[in-house]
Amino acid sequence: MRRTAALILALVAACARGRASTPDAARPLALRTVPVGDSLRLVLEAAPGWRINARVKPVLESADGTLLRFDAPGLTPDSAYFAEPPVAVVAARGRHPIRGTLRASVCAAGEAVCRVVRLEVRGDR
Amino acid sequence: MPKTALFAVLSLALAGSATGPRPAPSWRNTSWLNADRPITLESLRGRVVLLNFWVFTCYNCTNTVPSLVDFDAKYRERGLTVIGVHTPEFPPYAGEHDRSNVQRALEQYHIKYPVAQDNDDRTWNLYGIRYWPSFVLIDRKGRIRYEGAGEFHVGDADYRLWEGRIRELLEEG
Repeated sequence: MRRTAALILALVAACARGRASTPDAARPLALRTVPVGDSLRLVLEAAPGWRINARVKPVLESADGTLLRFDAPGLTPDSAYFAEPPVAVVAARGRHPIRGTLRASVCAAGEAVCRVVRLEVRGDR
Repeated sequence: MPKTALFAVLSLALAGSATGPRPAPSWRNTSWLNADRPITLESLRGRVVLLNFWVFTCYNCTNTVPSLVDFDAKYRERGLTVIGVHTPEFPPYAGEHDRSNVQRALEQYHIKYPVAQDNDDRTWNLYGIRYWPSFVLIDRKGRIRYEGAGEFHVGDADYRLWEGRIRELLEEG
């Protein structure tokens, strides 16, 4: 089994404005990490039926204000959504913990609305 | 160590529906586009008002704009005021707060109706909005009559539903 860094994602609020208070819930996003050499790839994956808005790219914002943007070359034909999981690369594994607030705009196919998902990311590498 | 993943939990309540008439809260946005001065709810008394909560980075929102442009063109003279409430999804670094970017979007999508910048989410929160795009239809007496969310297109079922609601409120006189 490949070793991946541990990232503990603590859900602060399921979505910044949609909240997560009702039981008929969906689970739109997951973040996984893949080591590549001395770097770490953060891969943001959408659950089936969900799409990640590519017009406003997902961002991991550190407490010091540093922004780590997620991106991917493949978009849907309308250029509105990522056609593949957007990725951010963190250099020099082990130098700093990965911490911050991850924001992504997600849209569920068939519902025709978007909302912001906000995840608090805390983890050591 | 296996990959770690924790999924966010979301809920949905999208169906547009009639709401028991209740007074629409007064917004206080100060930055407007397509308007000479800030527009207040009080100044619109006697008109039917359709609020559209949107942001230009939301594809579902911009896909719906042609319907709103159409409503504005067809019903403005009959007493409808369409108002866009532009509420950013992300912090300012994403550019959604910039007036010039909003202005560009208005030009791109041929929006002629007034648009308020809601950069502090105040009007969004005031109306309890949860999704982009969302809609609030206010009658001539300043009461919320219909609310809903979700993309629609000129001529489709949801378009006809909203158009029917607009016409109903316009005919109330």
